[in-house]
Amino acid sequence: MTDSCRGRAKSEISLVVNGALKTVNAYPMERLLDVLRHQLQLTGAKEGCGEGECGSCAVLMDGMLVNSCLVPVLQAQGSNLVTIEGVAAEGVPHALQQTFLECGGAQCGICTPGMILASAHLLNQKPEPTIDEIREGLSGNLCRCTGYAQIIEAVAEAARRRTTA
Amino acid sequence: MRSNPSDYQMVAPGNLRAVVSLLANEPGAWLPIAGGTDVMVQYAAGKLPARRLVSIWNLPELRRIEIAEHEIRIGAGCTYSDLRKHEVVGCEFPLLASAARWTGGIANQNRGTIGGNIVNASPAADSLPALLVYDADLILVSARGERRLPYAHFHTGYKKTMLGPDELIEAVCLPRKFSGYFSHARKVGARNAQAISKVCIAALGHIENGVVEDVRIALGSVAPVPVRITETEEALKGKSMDPGLLLLAKKTVASEIRPIDDIRSTARYRATVAGNLVAEFLSLLTSAPAADSAAVLARWNLLSPDEAMRMILSCCGSKAWAQGMAARRPLADEAALLGASNETWSGLTRSDWLEAFRSHPRIGESQPTQSSSTEPERVQSVEWSAQEQRNVEDAEDAVKLALADANREYEQRFDHIFIVCASGKSASEILRILQRRLNNDAETELHEAAEQQRQITEIRLRKWLQE
Repeated sequence: MTDSCRGRAKSEISLVVNGALKTVNAYPMERLLDVLRHQLQLTGAKEGCGEGECGSCAVLMDGMLVNSCLVPVLQAQGSNLVTIEGVAAEGVPHALQQTFLECGGAQCGICTPGMILASAHLLNQKPEPTIDEIREGLSGNLCRCTGYAQIIEAVAEAARRRTTA
Repeated sequence: MRSNPSDYQMVAPGNLRAVVSLLANEPGAWLPIAGGTDVMVQYAAGKLPARRLVSIWNLPELRRIEIAEHEIRIGAGCTYSDLRKHEVVGCEFPLLASAARWTGGIANQNRGTIGGNIVNASPAADSLPALLVYDADLILVSARGERRLPYAHFHTGYKKTMLGPDELIEAVCLPRKFSGYFSHARKVGARNAQAISKVCIAALGHIENGVVEDVRIALGSVAPVPVRITETEEALKGKSMDPGLLLLAKKTVASEIRPIDDIRSTARYRATVAGNLVAEFLSLLTSAPAADSAAVLARWNLLSPDEAMRMILSCCGSKAWAQGMAARRPLADEAALLGASNETWSGLTRSDWLEAFRSHPRIGESQPTQSSSTEPERVQSVEWSAQEQRNVEDAEDAVKLALADANREYEQRFDHIFIVCASGKSASEILRILQRRLNNDAETELHEAAEQQRQITEIRLRKWLQE
């Protein structure tokens, strides 16, 4: 019951973000999205709708895709997070980042971090997705620029390269 | 107006007992929050009246699915993704699995929970009509103990429920008695993911000799709570399936439901669509041979490995194949079954293939070359062989004799019996194939025979699903 002592005061919350252990001091109901952007200066995750409809704030929490605008930071205590900033390895773009670039999957860029993480989550679970599976995997991510065709192509291409590599 | 996080208190005790005692100490003071897919939306909009929240996210006691003989018990903290992934839910409760698939997008399915969906009590919730037709019970827990009540009694009005201020939903129990039913679910909304339903249906049905034996239909978004349309169900039971029945169904639905106008749709549209959805379900029910095969597969998926092996041996006589098939369970449908069979078969050794060949009678004979056992699966296999070779049975004696000779020559040359997928082939066609294959070298012939056995197995698996 030690946790139940937390009142309206801020709490110390530890989490692993992109491989590094971070401790933040935050109100338990602060949104994970705000903590990432304002305290950890990780501004890749964007606030689109703020109600879990658009997917632009998506991050991976313990390997699962979540909308960080709907996660109170206390629930992220002890978790392992991956944001868009942690996707590329030492300056080398992730296969998905490369194919989004080549296929024209990114335009204004607001949805792109969430799109890439949703795509990475999909490819982790289904390395060779069908087009319908790609559509389903990205159905919670809205894009107002591309019309989606290029995004779907980018994910399919990344899957192809990964399986033939 | 956005909420200010400093106005809110939140605790995460980490186990169910601690949460329940917190609720008991100050009934109604704490709002449980699981994946936050509803609560955090209200919070962001500045519309969350509760100021103190207790996290029940990922409590181990609430996040398991237990399978008992007569029911499955789904922890209230299981997410939609948990439901989508679960084999028994997928096989025996497909309506729930489909609802889980089209609730929100993937990120919300990873966080939204079945218990949260029930307590949130939205009339439009996608999973709730499924719980109604499956006769779900809820287990509610508090410091006073547990109580069990039918889910159908849980919602008492728009956003009103039977949940006490000190209670939590602990689990949802589904009786395992509907796997033989045909099931149909459909959501009508602006799009499947993320958009809330204008109308949704979950329905189970069973017809026998063209007569509706049983039917269970629930609708979402047509009333303040998800509803079973029992008047319509009663009107349909015992009736024979004909075009007039669809009209009757639409009429009864229209008189039974009272949908409303709101931002997503109009009452008139909803009433019409609800009637059409029920009619669509009925016409699918009439043309649904798949119902029984789904039940056969669902039962087989749950057998012990030994029983499962024994059950399927009549389709292919290799024990290694049957073992491989049993190990690949659960298999969702016919396509998965056939895919698993092909994969298993191509991965076997020569001696496994030969074992399967030996379980067949020679073309033109009726008993297998190896065994004359009376076990049911052998009897089944012999019966199927007779069906497959029906044309040979009826052939002229001269052709039969030529076949017998060629069979002997074949066995001397290759040391195993001649295997051909005989279904639909005449005796003389088979004879021509046999004579051609006598020219093969041993390796080529082994693979050709194995391919024939694969085709036989496929045909038998299809028959097996209909038994």
